[in-house]
Amino acid sequence: MTYTWRRKLADWLTAYVFILPVLLGWGIFVVVALVMSLYFSFTSFNLLKPPQWIGPVNYARVLQHPDFFRYAVPNTLKYSAVVVPAQTVLSLIFAFALDQKIRARDFFRTAFYLPSVTSSVVIGIIFVWLFSPKGVINQLLGLDVNWLYNVKTALPTIMMVNIWSTTGTMMLIFLAGLQDIPSELYEAAAIDGASRPQMFRYITIPLLRPVIFFVVTLGIIGTFQVFDQIYIMTKGGPLKATTTIVYLIYFWAFGDVTPDMGRASAAAFILAVAIFVVTMVQRRFLEREEV
Amino acid sequence: MRRFKWFPIITALLILSIVSAACATPTPEVKVVKETVVVTKEVEKVVTKEVEKVVTKEVEKVVTKEVEKVVTKEVEKPRTEVRLSGWTASPEEENLLRALLYECSLQNPDILVKYEPIPSDYWAKIKTMVGSGTEPDIYYMDIFQFPFFATQGVLQPIDDYMAKEGVSRDEFLDTLINAFTWEGKTYGIPKDFNTLGLFYNKDLFDQAGVDYPTNDWTWDDLKAAAQKITDATGVAGFSVPPDPGRFPIFVFQNGGQIMNDDFTDTLLDSPEAIEAGKFYTGARAEGWAIIPQDVGVGWQGEAFGKGDVAMVLEGGWMVPYLTNQFPDRNYSAVHPPAGPKGEGNLVFTVAYVISKNSKNPEAAFKTIACLTSEESQVKVLTSGFALPSRKALQSHEYLQNNPVANAIFTGAEFATPFMWGLKGETVNQAMAQALERVYLEGMSVEESFKQAAEEIRAALKE
Repeated sequence: MTYTWRRKLADWLTAYVFILPVLLGWGIFVVVALVMSLYFSFTSFNLLKPPQWIGPVNYARVLQHPDFFRYAVPNTLKYSAVVVPAQTVLSLIFAFALDQKIRARDFFRTAFYLPSVTSSVVIGIIFVWLFSPKGVINQLLGLDVNWLYNVKTALPTIMMVNIWSTTGTMMLIFLAGLQDIPSELYEAAAIDGASRPQMFRYITIPLLRPVIFFVVTLGIIGTFQVFDQIYIMTKGGPLKATTTIVYLIYFWAFGDVTPDMGRASAAAFILAVAIFVVTMVQRRFLEREEV
Repeated sequence: MRRFKWFPIITALLILSIVSAACATPTPEVKVVKETVVVTKEVEKVVTKEVEKVVTKEVEKVVTKEVEKVVTKEVEKPRTEVRLSGWTASPEEENLLRALLYECSLQNPDILVKYEPIPSDYWAKIKTMVGSGTEPDIYYMDIFQFPFFATQGVLQPIDDYMAKEGVSRDEFLDTLINAFTWEGKTYGIPKDFNTLGLFYNKDLFDQAGVDYPTNDWTWDDLKAAAQKITDATGVAGFSVPPDPGRFPIFVFQNGGQIMNDDFTDTLLDSPEAIEAGKFYTGARAEGWAIIPQDVGVGWQGEAFGKGDVAMVLEGGWMVPYLTNQFPDRNYSAVHPPAGPKGEGNLVFTVAYVISKNSKNPEAAFKTIACLTSEESQVKVLTSGFALPSRKALQSHEYLQNNPVANAIFTGAEFATPFMWGLKGETVNQAMAQALERVYLEGMSVEESFKQAAEEIRAALKE
């Protein structure tokens, strides 16, 4: 008895020692940071002086700030509503195409995935050049549009860049999912005389449902948190046309002369709750259809 | 079986030791150096004792024997360590500072300056450091950010140290030293500054047959010349960017202000400011000025370098930029034109400040005094990176022989510090957007400026 007990203890110890480094990092940089920012969201805190407890005032200050509901929320929702469906559909199509035995398949797989391994800062800078008034895009299209300095085109331009850069990652996840689908199903369908589109509709899509859920969830979280490309390409402008929730959080936290960490933390928690709710609703929705 | 049982524990210990070794944070501040000296002697009754004293850096070691033979190692006098941080605009500027620090290390041999540059996100980093009490003894302070640090009481007043070192406020340009004064106390020694000058492209002026600008120009002269150049060359005469670091001088020249004297309210919707806004944005509507975005660049300096605009209001940073990027540009600079109420300019300045937490404020001040001494500032001036903050240098031959630097330097006389109080960036954004609404959406100046003023007031009320 003691022998097995000791062995169990040894196993247990080994396991914890193995995960210890991650546990420490996660504990310090995620759990502690999360708890601290929850605390900050109830305080008045400018970084230099110790935080002062003021209760839930910051949450009201976020919700009442004109920029929050007039610019940040609608811009983020618009962004998410366009980018998530577009990148999901595109990456699914790419993954399906590249799952077939076509010529130069490996080349295309690499090419489509390449943007995902490139730094978003580098992508942002490159697209600033491409979309500049005398840039390549305008010359190809024969237009004279200042894409990033126009209230109407700035956000769609950033959407386009983000779809381009994230489709590769989503495609990779779909490819993995596609490879899990047993080929017998396709063979059986082929014997029954199903066409390729029919196979896609009645075999691929249903069996990929968990993967689709995963990709859409990732997409929603990613788009709700969009920041880097906006910071690089437009700084939230022109006229706040590209100010998103996270960009506003950044401005409150570090943008002004007096940092407002309390309000920034409160906005971050509001965003976290929003993401959580949206993800749960979407899970319900997808699970119900599965039956 | 037996071996297997122990294997996980041994592995665990091994990994634990590796992890703990990796996680152990090194404490570089105090180094305890231990040396064991083994003295072997054949003589009987010799006892070796070791006494170790730990100084900040060096180790003083006395080995005492019963025979009363004392061996003392020669020890350097410990140097006081001060840390210095600043942002890095370019490798050249960083090297210049390092050269000055070397000179100062000769002058103050008892002070060791540890230079810790912060390459990006300077303000987020320095504010976080101050919040956690880990900021350097000396750091760069921009006038735009100064009010926040001053009101939070995290800076060391330096008047006493100035008196001790014989540094007088009168030695520095009044606009600059006054800018870093708060509630009667001096908090920083300005290291350099910039103002705006009217940079003009000589070739375009020659081509259009227009006389070069002078320091006596007014808005009317600017408009007349810009119109002539636009008509004659097809290149826009002037540039009116929606930039809160350029537009305010037109408000000043029209007798207005951006903020009231104690920064509790904005005067952006005053008649003076609105009239200045009409002149500024009207220049583009009338066709004799552009905004940089019109010619496909992000800032007007690039438009000027490329020859897409004949005149721009920019600072001394244009000189190294044009030398590097557009070495063929034939240009000069004069004071900005005067408005209906006279001259007006903006001054951008940076000072060295000392942290209130500094353990060696005296050594820190000595370092600052050396970095801003006349010899140091001559080196800065002749390198062409920045203008010196000392009055005595206004007659320096470099300024006499360099009309651009001279225009920027003497511009300080009529200049207001680029600083809008505790919500400065909100003011900046509101101002930029007030101009953008006019440019991009065709809103009237009155309406747009009123909206901006309301936004600023809402932020100030919080």
